[in-house]
Amino acid sequence: MEYALFLGCTIPLKMPHLEKAFRDVAAILNVNLKEMEGVSCCPEPVSLQSLNIDTWMALGARNLAIAEKMGLDILTICSGCYETLKTVSVLLEEDKEYLEKINGILKKIGYNYTGKTKVYHFVELFSQPDWLAKLKELTVKPLDDLNLAVHYGCHLVRPSKIMQFDHPEKPEKIDIILETLGAKTIEFANKLECCGFCARLQEEIGDKLVEDKMTELCELEEEVDALIAVCPACTTQYDRKEKLVARKTGKELDIPVLYLAEIMAIALGVELEDLNLKQRSVKPDKLIKKLTT
Amino acid sequence: MTQMIKKSANDLYRNFRYEISEKVGAKSLLKCIQCGVCSSGCTVTEYVDMQPHRVVASCLLGLKEEVLASQAIWTCSLCHRCTERCPKNVDYSFILALLRNMAVKEGKIPKEYSGTVVTIYNNGFVVPYTGGLKDNIDRRRKRLGLPDLIPPDLAEIRLIIEETGLGDLAKEQEDDK
Repeated sequence: MEYALFLGCTIPLKMPHLEKAFRDVAAILNVNLKEMEGVSCCPEPVSLQSLNIDTWMALGARNLAIAEKMGLDILTICSGCYETLKTVSVLLEEDKEYLEKINGILKKIGYNYTGKTKVYHFVELFSQPDWLAKLKELTVKPLDDLNLAVHYGCHLVRPSKIMQFDHPEKPEKIDIILETLGAKTIEFANKLECCGFCARLQEEIGDKLVEDKMTELCELEEEVDALIAVCPACTTQYDRKEKLVARKTGKELDIPVLYLAEIMAIALGVELEDLNLKQRSVKPDKLIKKLTT
Repeated sequence: MTQMIKKSANDLYRNFRYEISEKVGAKSLLKCIQCGVCSSGCTVTEYVDMQPHRVVASCLLGLKEEVLASQAIWTCSLCHRCTERCPKNVDYSFILALLRNMAVKEGKIPKEYSGTVVTIYNNGFVVPYTGGLKDNIDRRRKRLGLPDLIPPDLAEIRLIIEETGLGDLAKEQEDDK
Protein backbone atom coordinates (compact mmCIF):
# COMPACT_ATOMS: atom_id res chain seq x y z
CA MET A 1 0.00 0.00 0.00
CA GLU A 2 1.44 3.35 -1.01
CA TYR A 3 0.03 6.81 -0.34
CA ALA A 4 1.03 10.43 -0.79
CA LEU A 5 1.31 11.66 2.79
CA PHE A 6 -0.33 15.04 3.28
CA LEU A 7 0.99 16.44 6.56
CA GLY A 8 -0.73 19.82 6.59
CA CYS A 9 0.63 22.57 8.86
CA THR A 10 -0.45 22.23 12.49
CA ILE A 11 0.89 18.72 13.09
CA PRO A 12 4.31 18.95 11.40
CA LEU A 13 5.03 22.51 12.58
CA LYS A 14 3.38 22.71 15.99
CA MET A 15 2.78 19.13 17.15
CA PRO A 16 5.46 17.02 15.44
CA HIS A 17 5.23 14.39 18.20
CA LEU A 18 1.83 13.46 16.72
CA GLU A 19 3.41 13.04 13.29
CA LYS A 20 6.07 10.83 14.87
CA ALA A 21 3.38 8.60 16.43
CA PHE A 22 1.59 8.33 13.11
CA ARG A 23 4.76 7.49 11.18
CA ASP A 24 5.59 4.80 13.74
CA VAL A 25 2.13 3.26 13.30
CA ALA A 26 2.37 3.40 9.51
CA ALA A 27 5.82 1.76 9.59
CA ILE A 28 4.58 -1.09 11.80
CA LEU A 29 1.57 -1.63 9.54
CA ASN A 30 3.78 -1.47 6.47
CA VAL A 31 2.02 1.48 4.85
CA ASN A 32 4.40 3.05 2.39
CA LEU A 33 4.30 6.85 2.65
CA LYS A 34 5.65 9.13 -0.06
CA GLU A 35 6.46 12.74 0.85
CA MET A 36 4.75 15.41 -1.27
CA GLU A 37 6.97 18.04 -2.93
CA GLY A 38 6.05 21.71 -2.65
CA VAL A 39 2.51 21.33 -1.25
CA SER A 40 0.94 24.20 0.69
CA CYS A 41 -1.50 24.43 3.57
CA CYS A 42 -4.49 22.27 2.54
CA PRO A 43 -5.71 25.23 2.78
CA GLU A 44 -7.46 25.37 6.10
CA PRO A 45 -11.24 25.12 5.74
CA VAL A 46 -12.38 27.83 8.11
CA SER A 47 -10.90 31.18 7.36
CA LEU A 48 -9.53 30.80 3.87
CA GLN A 49 -12.82 29.42 2.59
CA SER A 50 -14.52 32.33 4.36
CA LEU A 51 -12.29 34.87 2.64
CA ASN A 52 -12.58 33.48 -0.87
CA ILE A 53 -13.98 30.12 -1.99
CA ASP A 54 -12.05 30.24 -5.28
CA THR A 55 -8.68 30.71 -3.53
CA TRP A 56 -9.53 27.84 -1.20
CA MET A 57 -10.57 25.57 -4.08
CA ALA A 58 -7.61 26.43 -6.32
CA LEU A 59 -4.97 25.91 -3.62
CA GLY A 60 -6.67 22.64 -2.66
CA ALA A 61 -6.81 21.52 -6.30
CA ARG A 62 -3.09 22.25 -6.68
CA ASN A 63 -2.36 19.91 -3.77
CA LEU A 64 -4.59 17.25 -5.33
CA ALA A 65 -2.83 17.75 -8.67
CA ILE A 66 0.56 17.15 -7.04
CA ALA A 67 -0.68 13.76 -5.76
CA GLU A 68 -2.16 13.02 -9.16
CA LYS A 69 1.25 13.62 -10.75
CA MET A 70 2.72 11.14 -8.25
CA GLY A 71 0.06 8.64 -9.30
CA LEU A 72 -1.02 8.18 -5.66
CA ASP A 73 -4.05 8.77 -3.46
CA ILE A 74 -3.67 11.13 -0.51
CA LEU A 75 -3.52 10.05 3.13
CA THR A 76 -4.23 12.84 5.64
CA ILE A 77 -3.58 12.90 9.39
CA CYS A 78 -5.71 15.95 10.23
CA SER A 79 -9.49 16.37 9.99
CA GLY A 80 -9.14 19.90 8.62
CA CYS A 81 -6.93 18.76 5.74
CA TYR A 82 -9.26 15.83 5.21
CA GLU A 83 -12.29 18.10 4.97
CA THR A 84 -10.69 20.58 2.59
CA LEU A 85 -9.08 18.09 0.25
CA LYS A 86 -12.04 15.74 0.16
CA THR A 87 -14.54 18.59 -0.33
CA VAL A 88 -12.48 20.08 -3.14
CA SER A 89 -12.09 16.69 -4.83
CA VAL A 90 -15.80 15.84 -4.55
CA LEU A 91 -17.04 19.28 -5.65
CA LEU A 92 -14.68 19.42 -8.62
CA GLU A 93 -15.81 15.96 -9.66
CA GLU A 94 -19.45 17.06 -9.53
CA ASP A 95 -19.03 20.44 -11.22
CA LYS A 96 -16.99 20.09 -14.40
CA GLU A 97 -17.49 23.73 -15.36
CA TYR A 98 -15.91 24.82 -12.09
CA LEU A 99 -13.08 22.32 -12.56
CA GLU A 100 -12.36 23.94 -15.91
CA LYS A 101 -12.25 27.37 -14.29
CA ILE A 102 -9.86 26.15 -11.58
CA ASN A 103 -7.69 24.42 -14.17
CA GLY A 104 -7.51 27.72 -16.05
CA ILE A 105 -5.64 29.07 -13.04
CA LEU A 106 -3.57 25.94 -12.43
CA LYS A 107 -2.43 25.90 -16.07
CA LYS A 108 -0.45 29.07 -15.45
CA ILE A 109 1.80 27.17 -13.08
CA GLY A 110 1.96 23.98 -15.11
CA TYR A 111 -0.75 21.82 -13.50
CA ASN A 112 -3.88 20.19 -14.85
CA TYR A 113 -6.06 18.37 -12.35
CA THR A 114 -8.17 15.66 -13.96
CA GLY A 115 -10.02 14.60 -10.82
CA LYS A 116 -8.38 11.26 -10.11
CA THR A 117 -7.01 11.83 -6.60
CA LYS A 118 -8.87 10.09 -3.78
CA VAL A 119 -8.45 11.46 -0.27
CA TYR A 120 -8.36 9.36 2.92
CA HIS A 121 -8.00 10.11 6.60
CA PHE A 122 -6.08 7.36 8.36
CA VAL A 123 -9.21 6.51 10.39
CA GLU A 124 -10.99 5.75 7.13
CA LEU A 125 -8.15 3.51 6.08
CA PHE A 126 -7.47 1.61 9.30
CA SER A 127 -11.15 0.97 10.07
CA GLN A 128 -11.53 -1.19 6.97
CA PRO A 129 -11.86 -4.93 7.75
CA ASP A 130 -8.52 -6.08 6.34
CA TRP A 131 -6.65 -3.35 8.21
CA LEU A 132 -8.51 -4.17 11.43
CA ALA A 133 -7.40 -7.78 11.06
CA LYS A 134 -3.84 -6.60 10.59
CA LEU A 135 -4.11 -4.32 13.63
CA LYS A 136 -5.35 -7.18 15.74
CA GLU A 137 -2.56 -9.42 14.57
CA LEU A 138 0.12 -6.81 15.28
CA THR A 139 -1.15 -5.68 18.69
CA VAL A 140 1.54 -6.53 21.23
CA LYS A 141 0.24 -4.49 24.14
CA PRO A 142 -3.56 -4.87 24.20
CA LEU A 143 -5.34 -1.89 25.75
CA ASP A 144 -7.48 -4.25 27.85
CA ASP A 145 -7.58 -2.17 30.99
CA LEU A 146 -8.44 1.13 29.35
CA ASN A 147 -11.74 3.02 29.25
CA LEU A 148 -11.51 5.46 26.41
CA ALA A 149 -13.81 8.29 25.35
CA VAL A 150 -13.80 9.08 21.64
CA HIS A 151 -14.13 12.56 20.17
CA TYR A 152 -14.94 12.39 16.45
CA GLY A 153 -15.06 16.10 15.82
CA CYS A 154 -17.13 17.60 13.05
CA HIS A 155 -15.05 17.62 9.91
CA LEU A 156 -14.25 13.94 9.86
CA VAL A 157 -17.87 12.92 9.33
CA ARG A 158 -19.88 15.93 8.14
CA PRO A 159 -21.29 16.90 5.75
CA SER A 160 -21.87 13.23 4.96
CA LYS A 161 -22.81 13.89 1.32
CA ILE A 162 -19.14 14.91 0.89
CA MET A 163 -17.27 12.86 3.51
CA GLN A 164 -19.18 9.63 2.75
CA PHE A 165 -17.53 7.28 5.18
CA ASP A 166 -19.07 7.10 8.62
CA HIS A 167 -22.49 7.86 10.08
CA PRO A 168 -22.77 11.66 10.47
CA GLU A 169 -24.65 11.46 13.78
CA LYS A 170 -23.62 8.05 15.08
CA PRO A 171 -20.07 7.45 13.90
CA GLU A 172 -18.30 4.29 15.03
CA LYS A 173 -15.05 3.89 13.10
CA ILE A 174 -12.70 5.19 15.80
CA ASP A 175 -14.50 3.10 18.44
CA ILE A 176 -14.01 0.04 16.25
CA ILE A 177 -10.28 0.69 15.87
CA LEU A 178 -9.85 1.12 19.64
CA GLU A 179 -11.91 -1.96 20.45
CA THR A 180 -9.80 -3.96 18.01
CA LEU A 181 -6.77 -2.89 20.05
CA GLY A 182 -8.49 -4.23 23.16
CA ALA A 183 -9.79 -1.03 24.76
CA LYS A 184 -13.29 -0.40 25.99
CA THR A 185 -14.94 2.73 24.54
CA ILE A 186 -17.68 4.50 26.42
CA GLU A 187 -20.91 6.14 25.39
CA PHE A 188 -21.62 9.61 26.77
CA ALA A 189 -24.11 12.38 26.11
CA ASN A 190 -21.65 14.98 24.78
CA LYS A 191 -19.81 12.54 22.53
CA LEU A 192 -20.72 14.26 19.29
CA GLU A 193 -20.45 17.86 20.44
CA CYS A 194 -18.10 20.18 18.59
CA CYS A 195 -14.85 21.23 20.33
CA GLY A 196 -15.47 24.87 19.43
CA PHE A 197 -11.98 25.51 18.08
CA CYS A 198 -13.35 26.98 14.86
CA ALA A 199 -15.73 29.38 16.62
CA ARG A 200 -13.03 32.03 16.62
CA LEU A 201 -15.05 35.11 17.31
CA GLN A 202 -16.02 34.23 20.88
CA GLU A 203 -13.60 32.40 23.12
CA GLU A 204 -16.39 31.54 25.58
CA ILE A 205 -18.05 29.21 23.07
CA GLY A 206 -15.05 26.86 23.17
CA ASP A 207 -14.72 27.27 26.95
CA LYS A 208 -18.31 26.17 27.48
CA LEU A 209 -18.13 23.23 25.05
CA VAL A 210 -14.91 21.94 26.61
CA GLU A 211 -16.24 22.42 30.13
CA ASP A 212 -19.45 20.52 29.35
CA LYS A 213 -17.69 17.55 27.77
CA MET A 214 -14.86 17.24 30.29
CA THR A 215 -17.18 17.69 33.27
CA GLU A 216 -19.43 14.92 32.01
CA LEU A 217 -16.46 12.60 31.47
CA CYS A 218 -15.11 13.28 34.96
CA GLU A 219 -18.48 12.63 36.56
CA LEU A 220 -19.09 9.26 34.90
CA GLU A 221 -19.22 6.30 37.21
CA GLU A 222 -16.49 4.46 35.36
CA GLU A 223 -13.18 6.29 35.33
CA VAL A 224 -12.19 7.53 31.86
CA ASP A 225 -8.49 7.02 31.12
CA ALA A 226 -8.24 9.34 28.12
CA LEU A 227 -10.13 11.30 25.51
CA ILE A 228 -9.04 10.23 22.02
CA ALA A 229 -9.17 12.70 19.12
CA VAL A 230 -8.05 12.54 15.50
CA CYS A 231 -7.62 16.20 14.68
CA PRO A 232 -4.83 18.48 15.93
CA ALA A 233 -7.29 21.34 16.48
CA CYS A 234 -9.63 19.25 18.67
CA THR A 235 -6.67 17.67 20.48
CA THR A 236 -5.10 20.99 21.38
CA GLN A 237 -8.45 22.62 22.17
CA TYR A 238 -9.43 20.03 24.79
CA ASP A 239 -5.95 19.73 26.25
CA ARG A 240 -5.36 23.47 26.62
CA LYS A 241 -8.85 24.53 27.63
CA GLU A 242 -9.43 21.66 30.05
CA LYS A 243 -6.64 23.05 32.19
CA LEU A 244 -7.84 26.66 31.83
CA VAL A 245 -11.45 25.78 32.62
CA ALA A 246 -10.39 23.72 35.64
CA ARG A 247 -8.46 26.70 37.00
CA LYS A 248 -11.32 29.11 36.32
CA THR A 249 -14.13 26.99 37.74
CA GLY A 250 -12.27 25.09 40.46
CA LYS A 251 -13.48 21.83 38.95
CA GLU A 252 -11.15 18.86 39.07
CA LEU A 253 -10.73 18.07 35.40
CA ASP A 254 -7.83 15.72 34.74
CA ILE A 255 -8.56 13.59 31.70
CA PRO A 256 -5.59 13.50 29.31
CA VAL A 257 -6.20 14.02 25.61
CA LEU A 258 -4.40 11.75 23.17
CA TYR A 259 -4.25 11.69 19.41
CA LEU A 260 -5.49 8.39 17.97
CA ALA A 261 -2.11 7.51 16.45
CA GLU A 262 -0.49 7.83 19.89
CA ILE A 263 -2.71 5.24 21.52
CA MET A 264 -2.42 3.01 18.43
CA ALA A 265 1.37 3.26 18.66
CA ILE A 266 1.25 2.15 22.30
CA ALA A 267 -0.82 -0.92 21.43
CA LEU A 268 1.48 -1.74 18.53
CA GLY A 269 4.50 -1.79 20.80
CA VAL A 270 6.14 1.63 20.45
CA GLU A 271 7.98 2.44 23.69
CA LEU A 272 6.18 5.01 25.87
CA GLU A 273 9.32 7.12 26.23
CA ASP A 274 9.49 7.50 22.46
CA LEU A 275 6.04 9.07 22.32
CA ASN A 276 6.31 12.40 24.15
CA LEU A 277 3.14 11.67 26.08
CA LYS A 278 4.01 14.32 28.66
CA GLN A 279 4.01 17.03 26.02
CA ARG A 280 0.54 18.35 26.88
CA SER A 281 -1.15 20.48 29.52
CA VAL A 282 -2.97 17.65 31.27
CA LYS A 283 -0.22 15.10 31.94
CA PRO A 284 -1.28 11.49 31.41
CA ASP A 285 0.51 10.29 34.56
CA LYS A 286 -2.27 7.96 35.69
CA LEU A 287 -2.54 6.51 32.21
CA ILE A 288 1.20 5.92 31.96
CA LYS A 289 1.15 4.24 35.36
CA LYS A 290 -1.69 2.00 34.26
CA LEU A 291 0.17 1.08 31.09
CA THR A 292 3.39 0.26 32.86
CA THR A 293 2.13 -1.80 35.78
CA MET B 1 -30.34 38.65 20.37
CA THR B 2 -32.58 39.27 17.38
CA GLN B 3 -33.40 42.90 16.79
CA MET B 4 -36.59 44.17 15.23
CA ILE B 5 -35.81 45.57 11.80
CA LYS B 6 -38.28 47.95 10.16
CA LYS B 7 -37.72 48.50 6.49
CA SER B 8 -39.91 49.66 3.66
CA ALA B 9 -40.47 47.12 0.87
CA ASN B 10 -38.77 49.49 -1.56
CA ASP B 11 -35.56 49.35 0.43
CA LEU B 12 -35.19 45.59 0.21
CA TYR B 13 -32.45 44.25 -2.02
CA ARG B 14 -34.62 41.77 -3.85
CA ASN B 15 -31.93 40.28 -6.00
CA PHE B 16 -29.94 39.07 -2.98
CA ARG B 17 -31.42 35.56 -3.03
CA TYR B 18 -30.38 35.12 -6.66
CA GLU B 19 -26.89 36.52 -6.13
CA ILE B 20 -26.42 33.75 -3.57
CA SER B 21 -28.24 30.92 -5.31
CA GLU B 22 -26.46 31.37 -8.65
CA LYS B 23 -23.51 29.49 -7.12
CA VAL B 24 -23.95 25.76 -7.64
CA GLY B 25 -23.54 24.86 -3.96
CA ALA B 26 -26.01 27.51 -2.80
CA LYS B 27 -28.96 26.83 -5.12
CA SER B 28 -30.63 25.09 -2.22
CA LEU B 29 -31.23 28.44 -0.48
CA LEU B 30 -34.48 28.87 -2.38
CA LYS B 31 -35.93 25.65 -0.97
CA CYS B 32 -35.93 26.69 2.70
CA ILE B 33 -39.25 26.11 4.47
CA GLN B 34 -38.24 27.85 7.72
CA CYS B 35 -38.67 24.74 9.86
CA GLY B 36 -35.83 25.78 12.17
CA VAL B 37 -34.01 22.44 12.36
CA CYS B 38 -30.76 24.24 11.53
CA SER B 39 -31.14 26.63 14.46
CA SER B 40 -32.22 23.98 16.94
CA GLY B 41 -29.12 21.87 16.31
CA CYS B 42 -26.69 24.77 15.88
CA THR B 43 -23.61 24.63 18.14
CA VAL B 44 -23.50 28.41 18.51
CA THR B 45 -27.23 29.15 18.46
CA GLU B 46 -27.13 30.86 21.88
CA TYR B 47 -24.30 33.13 20.84
CA VAL B 48 -25.45 34.60 17.53
CA ASP B 49 -27.31 37.84 16.84
CA MET B 50 -29.30 36.06 14.11
CA GLN B 51 -30.02 32.33 14.19
CA PRO B 52 -29.40 30.25 11.04
CA HIS B 53 -33.03 30.06 9.88
CA ARG B 54 -33.30 33.83 10.37
CA VAL B 55 -30.19 34.40 8.28
CA VAL B 56 -31.74 32.33 5.50
CA ALA B 57 -35.07 34.17 5.81
CA SER B 58 -33.25 37.49 5.68
CA CYS B 59 -31.38 36.42 2.54
CA LEU B 60 -34.66 35.46 0.92
CA LEU B 61 -36.25 38.76 1.93
CA GLY B 62 -33.40 40.86 0.61
CA LEU B 63 -31.91 42.16 3.85
CA LYS B 64 -28.42 42.15 2.37
CA GLU B 65 -26.96 44.92 4.47
CA GLU B 66 -28.20 43.41 7.74
CA VAL B 67 -26.99 39.90 6.90
CA LEU B 68 -23.53 40.98 5.77
CA ALA B 69 -23.11 43.18 8.84
CA SER B 70 -24.31 40.49 11.26
CA GLN B 71 -21.93 38.85 13.68
CA ALA B 72 -23.84 35.58 13.08
CA ILE B 73 -22.18 34.81 9.77
CA TRP B 74 -18.75 34.82 11.47
CA THR B 75 -19.65 33.12 14.77
CA CYS B 76 -20.37 29.71 13.22
CA SER B 77 -18.11 26.87 14.43
CA LEU B 78 -18.51 25.01 11.14
CA CYS B 79 -19.88 21.85 12.76
CA HIS B 80 -22.08 21.24 9.68
CA ARG B 81 -25.04 19.91 11.66
CA CYS B 82 -27.34 22.40 9.91
CA THR B 83 -26.37 21.11 6.47
CA GLU B 84 -26.51 17.52 7.69
CA ARG B 85 -30.01 17.76 9.15
CA CYS B 86 -31.87 20.07 6.76
CA PRO B 87 -34.92 18.21 5.40
CA LYS B 88 -34.77 20.30 2.22
CA ASN B 89 -31.02 19.87 1.74
CA VAL B 90 -30.25 23.55 2.18
CA ASP B 91 -26.47 23.69 2.47
CA TYR B 92 -26.27 26.36 5.16
CA SER B 93 -22.53 25.89 5.83
CA PHE B 94 -21.73 26.57 2.19
CA ILE B 95 -24.17 29.49 2.00
CA LEU B 96 -22.50 30.95 5.07
CA ALA B 97 -19.08 30.70 3.42
CA LEU B 98 -20.53 32.54 0.44
CA LEU B 99 -22.00 35.25 2.67
CA ARG B 100 -18.62 35.66 4.34
CA ASN B 101 -17.00 36.01 0.90
CA MET B 102 -19.52 38.76 0.09
CA ALA B 103 -18.84 40.56 3.35
CA VAL B 104 -15.09 40.35 2.64
CA LYS B 105 -15.62 42.02 -0.74
CA GLU B 106 -17.24 44.90 1.14
CA GLY B 107 -14.25 45.10 3.45
CA LYS B 108 -16.07 43.61 6.45
CA ILE B 109 -13.54 41.09 7.77
CA PRO B 110 -13.08 40.27 11.46
CA LYS B 111 -9.40 40.32 12.41
CA GLU B 112 -9.62 36.69 13.54
CA TYR B 113 -10.05 35.74 9.90
CA SER B 114 -8.04 38.18 7.82
CA GLY B 115 -4.57 37.04 8.92
CA THR B 116 -4.78 33.55 7.43
CA VAL B 117 -4.18 34.61 3.85
CA VAL B 118 -1.19 36.72 4.89
CA THR B 119 0.39 33.78 6.72
CA ILE B 120 -0.19 31.43 3.80
CA TYR B 121 1.07 34.05 1.31
CA ASN B 122 4.28 34.49 3.29
CA ASN B 123 4.91 30.91 4.43
CA GLY B 124 2.85 28.54 2.30
CA PHE B 125 1.78 27.07 5.63
CA VAL B 126 -0.86 28.53 7.95
CA VAL B 127 1.83 28.52 10.65
CA PRO B 128 4.80 30.93 10.39
CA TYR B 129 7.88 29.12 9.08
CA THR B 130 10.65 31.68 8.67
CA GLY B 131 13.77 32.81 10.51
CA GLY B 132 14.12 31.75 14.14
CA LEU B 133 10.71 30.07 14.16
CA LYS B 134 11.78 27.86 11.28
CA ASP B 135 15.03 26.96 13.05
CA ASN B 136 13.13 25.93 16.19
CA ILE B 137 10.66 23.81 14.24
CA ASP B 138 13.43 22.14 12.25
CA ARG B 139 15.41 21.39 15.42
CA ARG B 140 12.40 19.89 17.14
CA ARG B 141 11.66 17.68 14.16
CA LYS B 142 15.26 16.51 13.98
CA ARG B 143 15.20 15.58 17.68
CA LEU B 144 12.16 13.38 17.00
CA GLY B 145 13.91 11.74 14.06
CA LEU B 146 11.41 13.17 11.56
CA PRO B 147 12.37 13.90 7.93
CA ASP B 148 13.14 17.52 6.93
CA LEU B 149 10.06 19.50 5.93
CA ILE B 150 9.80 20.11 2.21
CA PRO B 151 9.23 23.86 1.81
CA PRO B 152 6.04 24.92 -0.01
CA ASP B 153 6.51 26.39 -3.50
CA LEU B 154 5.81 30.02 -2.61
CA ALA B 155 5.84 31.41 -6.16
CA GLU B 156 3.07 29.03 -7.23
CA ILE B 157 1.02 29.59 -4.09
CA ARG B 158 1.27 33.37 -4.39
CA LEU B 159 0.21 33.28 -8.01
CA ILE B 160 -2.95 31.34 -7.09
CA ILE B 161 -3.76 33.79 -4.27
CA GLU B 162 -3.32 36.74 -6.64
CA GLU B 163 -5.22 35.16 -9.53
CA THR B 164 -8.21 34.39 -7.33
CA GLY B 165 -8.45 37.91 -6.00
CA LEU B 166 -6.92 37.80 -2.53
CA GLY B 167 -3.54 39.26 -3.52
CA ASP B 168 -4.38 42.77 -2.33
CA LEU B 169 -5.59 41.55 1.05
CA ALA B 170 -2.47 39.40 1.50
CA LYS B 171 -0.08 42.18 0.50
CA GLU B 172 -1.92 45.13 1.97
CA GLN B 173 -1.66 43.62 5.42
CA GLU B 174 1.94 42.70 4.84
CA ASP B 175 2.65 46.40 4.28
CA ASP B 176 0.80 47.30 7.46
CA LYS B 177 3.16 45.24 9.58
